[in-house]
Amino acid sequence: MIWVTWRQHRAQAIVCLALICALALIAIPLGLAMRTTYSNDGLPACLARSGGAGCPAAITSFVNRFGQGVGTLISLPLVAIPVFLGIVVGAPLLGRELERGTWRMAWTQTVPRTRWLITKLGLVTGGLLVFGVAVTSITTWYHEPLDRVTSRLQPIGSYAEGLTFTASLLCAFGLAVLAGLLLRNTIGAMVAAYIAWEIPSAAVLLLNGPIHFPPASTMRIPCRAGCPGARIGSVPPVTGHLGDFVLGVTRSGGELVVSYLPASRFWTVQLIGGGLYLAIAAATLGTAIWLLHQRTT
Amino acid sequence: MTGDDGVAALRADRLGKRYGRMWALRDCTFSVPAGSVVGLVGPNGAGKTTLLSLTVGLLAATEGEIAVFGQRSRAYTADTLARVSYLAQDHPLYSGFTVADMLHLGRSMNPRWDQALARTRLDRLGIPLERKIKTLSGGQQAQISLTMALAKRAPLLALDEPVASLDPIARLEFMRDVMAASADTGLTVIIASHVISELERLCDWLLLLTAGRLQLAGPVDDLVAAHQVLTVPRATADAELPGTVISRTDSDRHSTVLTAADLGQLASGLRPGWQAEAVSFEQLLIAYLQRPATAPAATEPDDDPARAGQPRSARTGITS
Repeated sequence: MIWVTWRQHRAQAIVCLALICALALIAIPLGLAMRTTYSNDGLPACLARSGGAGCPAAITSFVNRFGQGVGTLISLPLVAIPVFLGIVVGAPLLGRELERGTWRMAWTQTVPRTRWLITKLGLVTGGLLVFGVAVTSITTWYHEPLDRVTSRLQPIGSYAEGLTFTASLLCAFGLAVLAGLLLRNTIGAMVAAYIAWEIPSAAVLLLNGPIHFPPASTMRIPCRAGCPGARIGSVPPVTGHLGDFVLGVTRSGGELVVSYLPASRFWTVQLIGGGLYLAIAAATLGTAIWLLHQRTT
Repeated sequence: MTGDDGVAALRADRLGKRYGRMWALRDCTFSVPAGSVVGLVGPNGAGKTTLLSLTVGLLAATEGEIAVFGQRSRAYTADTLARVSYLAQDHPLYSGFTVADMLHLGRSMNPRWDQALARTRLDRLGIPLERKIKTLSGGQQAQISLTMALAKRAPLLALDEPVASLDPIARLEFMRDVMAASADTGLTVIIASHVISELERLCDWLLLLTAGRLQLAGPVDDLVAAHQVLTVPRATADAELPGTVISRTDSDRHSTVLTAADLGQLASGLRPGWQAEAVSFEQLLIAYLQRPATAPAATEPDDDPARAGQPRSARTGITS
């Protein structure tokens, strides 16, 4: 069974490996360049001394240099890969067997179909997990200097430096496997799984965007010697803590009211979003196994 | 070999399968001795594929049971799957696999896999191992499926319309190989087919289904011996004829009647001027296939000697 699974999915495995290589080829030189500039600009010493308050210009120029351009380009595939890979791998797993009638051959060998499915799902899920962890590790390593001076609550960080990337991939995979079983058709399963995947993804997107759950924190800074000219994007943030993401600054009487997302929020959001995706993945894969086990027609 | 001695290769007991409110197969009882080559005949939708699927464990029975070599078939259990090799209609294979990949699949999914048998057979057929399945002809694909089924080394081989998509030469070769395998290894074979001439050459046992009901079950020779073709004056009523009338064709002055009656009944029931002939395999099949599905063989009394050639279980199944 292990060989059969490998043979049926090896083309997909090779594509995954190629994607990892491509990402590494772009991210590793970029990450190295970033590290060189980071130390050449004296940022480590500045951060250690004053938490970034002593060298706002150096930080701004570093962020402007590496936070745009290629950095932005990398974030696009990182958003798209999980769902597309998930449905391309998941939809044919049962959909094509049922569509082409090969299930009559596959399920009349000596391996019972439930074991057949559990073995396949176990191995393929494992492969996708390894892929997700590899991509997340590469991205996290490459982006690490930027993360020290900006917030991880922004695109690359929130998509590919925590649970979201892998969990979203497994969620799309689970939905596509189940859709393949129900629709008995590969293309139909892909479309259905994509639409279904949009629901948890919209929730995760909202969690990062206009709806802040848990709610954004507020900080009141008294303006003793006149209010500082704090802006949303000032470096370091007006909260005085690198990694916080400032949403808004208003002046109210003698103080500044700062609405912001604390850096610690990153893992909270990752756990909520990732947990939602993983729960759906587990539920859909479990349902597919149960349905196939129960089916007598 | 008879079904009464030892364990039957295939035994159904009041087997039934319902899809929703429709019975695809009902009240099916028969017992096939080991080593038989069984022809499974019936119009489309008569329940042939359902019966085979129940046998190989692709389906679970709604009522009754079917047993292969004494072990009840249970859907999707390893021991049921191990007892039957199944060649599905249209011999599905993975089109992107090479022939060698298909054999590798067989080896990794079947504990009793006979790799030497598979290699030797494909060698003899001249099918190269490195070719992709999708580049091979339908006949070659059918042969690969048969090779996989034989290399699985199960005592029962179930074939569902194995030659339906093949050209005449490929059909001949395929059926010859099935027969050779059966003769060499004592394999019991059940073949669902529409090709009466093929079945006549191959089968020594017959199961005939119409509309989900078993109409005939027994050794071919016995079934043929238990039916006669009579030529009688047209005015003769069915009730006057010996045995049970299965089909009747009226011409201007005479009627040709196929009746389920053995020689004893025939001797006592035959009137002067009537002609009796032995029935051919094809005539027998056509008569039963054309018979309205609503007229079950159950109208015959259980002790009807016309059915003496059939195993006891077959009779009770049909008459109950």
